[in-house]
Amino acid sequence: MSFQVMLQQLTVGFGQTLLIFCLTLLFSLPLGMVVYFGRVSKFKPLSWIIKAYISIMRGTPLMLQLLLWYFGPFYLWGMNIGNYKFTAIILGCSLNYAAYFAEIYRSGIESIPVGQYEAAQLLGYNKSQTFFKIVLPQVVKIVLPSVTNEVITLVKDTSLVYSVSYIEMFALAKQIAAAQTTVIPFVIAGVFYYIFNFVVAWVMEWFEKKLNYYR
Amino acid sequence: MKKKTVAVLMTAVMAMGMVSAVSVQAGIEDKTLIVGFDAEYPPYGYMDDDGEYTGFDLELAQAVCDLEGWELEKKPINWDSKDMELNSGSIDCIWNGFTMNGREDDYTFSDPYVDNSQVIVVAEDSGIDKLTDLAGKTVGVQAASAALDLLQSEEEGGQKELADTFGSLNEFADYNTAFTELQAGALDALAIDIGVAKYQLNSRGEGFKILDETLNTEQYAIGFKKGNDELCNIVNADLQKLADDGTVAELAEKYEISDMVTLKASDDTSKDDTAEEK
Repeated sequence: MSFQVMLQQLTVGFGQTLLIFCLTLLFSLPLGMVVYFGRVSKFKPLSWIIKAYISIMRGTPLMLQLLLWYFGPFYLWGMNIGNYKFTAIILGCSLNYAAYFAEIYRSGIESIPVGQYEAAQLLGYNKSQTFFKIVLPQVVKIVLPSVTNEVITLVKDTSLVYSVSYIEMFALAKQIAAAQTTVIPFVIAGVFYYIFNFVVAWVMEWFEKKLNYYR
Repeated sequence: MKKKTVAVLMTAVMAMGMVSAVSVQAGIEDKTLIVGFDAEYPPYGYMDDDGEYTGFDLELAQAVCDLEGWELEKKPINWDSKDMELNSGSIDCIWNGFTMNGREDDYTFSDPYVDNSQVIVVAEDSGIDKLTDLAGKTVGVQAASAALDLLQSEEEGGQKELADTFGSLNEFADYNTAFTELQAGALDALAIDIGVAKYQLNSRGEGFKILDETLNTEQYAIGFKKGNDELCNIVNADLQKLADDGTVAELAEKYEISDMVTLKASDDTSKDDTAEEK
């Protein structure tokens, strides 16, 4: 197999990696906010359930969760899972990452001094105005470095979908390496991951700078 | 700007939903044979130089599908979850150098088509010449493989006693890593199928050898979900047809496993005739 064909194959696989990455972020970033609100809810049972949810999501391997999401419906209800693989992957990744994002949001929101809330109240802001106009814009700035961390981890975690036999870049690299008895595909895959993460880090840094208008 | 991005992403999600809906409909017609295989298992199933999945088993599966007018879907699976894939119906069969011995109770098997032994591969200069030399050595074996079952079996013909003499038995995920580890000295020996061993030694060149003493003799067959006799019988009949018309022998030659294929024409003279015609 020529280097060019390898590159071409891995580029196709990278498309799959990218798709999983984008969809997971699209769902988990907002979902994390919902989970956060559940976590700090005054309604205790809800907050306990969400706490247990976060604990399980963070406390078990993502690979195991993916296996459960994919094969679980069959073992529990005998559902035909022939065309359900991709949904299971996005579901598993999104729910897992939402738990992490929720805790990151919490760290950001709880770091806002009480004085800010008091000042907002004094100025006649109601609760939702206070949150969206005063608190949230500051939180975004605070949590951005932690979110960048998670996003970069997600890029690399996409390779875990191999456990449910979904063929993305890393699985393809393994297959090519096996057939050609060479390690070159791994090197190429590594370069792909690195370049992509470099871009992610660069974009996030650009965001940080853009949001840095008070300094 | 933001709205636009969201719109594009939503469209992409919807498009994917539609694609999967279409494939659901195709599944109902039941004209697709979904073959599950380990795409890291040359020469039986692997990715060829053009990036297509091929191999002895996959071409044979294609030939069966051509006979029946079925569509062949080649589905690379993670070998560790092959049972879950098969039981849940996301694949119709495991067709990929699948050892039947010791697994007879778990699957409905086709007639065996390849005779396969488990052998030991060592580095040429390792000084290991027979099985007893492996005492105290680090031996590698693929996770969830027939070789591993064999080395853990205490039944008649099992090699648990031999495995107990090893320094350690390390499980690996794929052959490529295993051979690199063998080369690098992290492993002293590998317990693998002879077909795979030959393929690896051919493409890797010097430096390795296969021990003359084998661990056992085994057979490859196609594994169907337990009780799926209907599909199994159709495939069995087709395999015999393909053996009779010389297709099997041709493929065996192409993949250099002629001396291992046991699926022969039912009448030997007829096979010679076809050979002469060609």
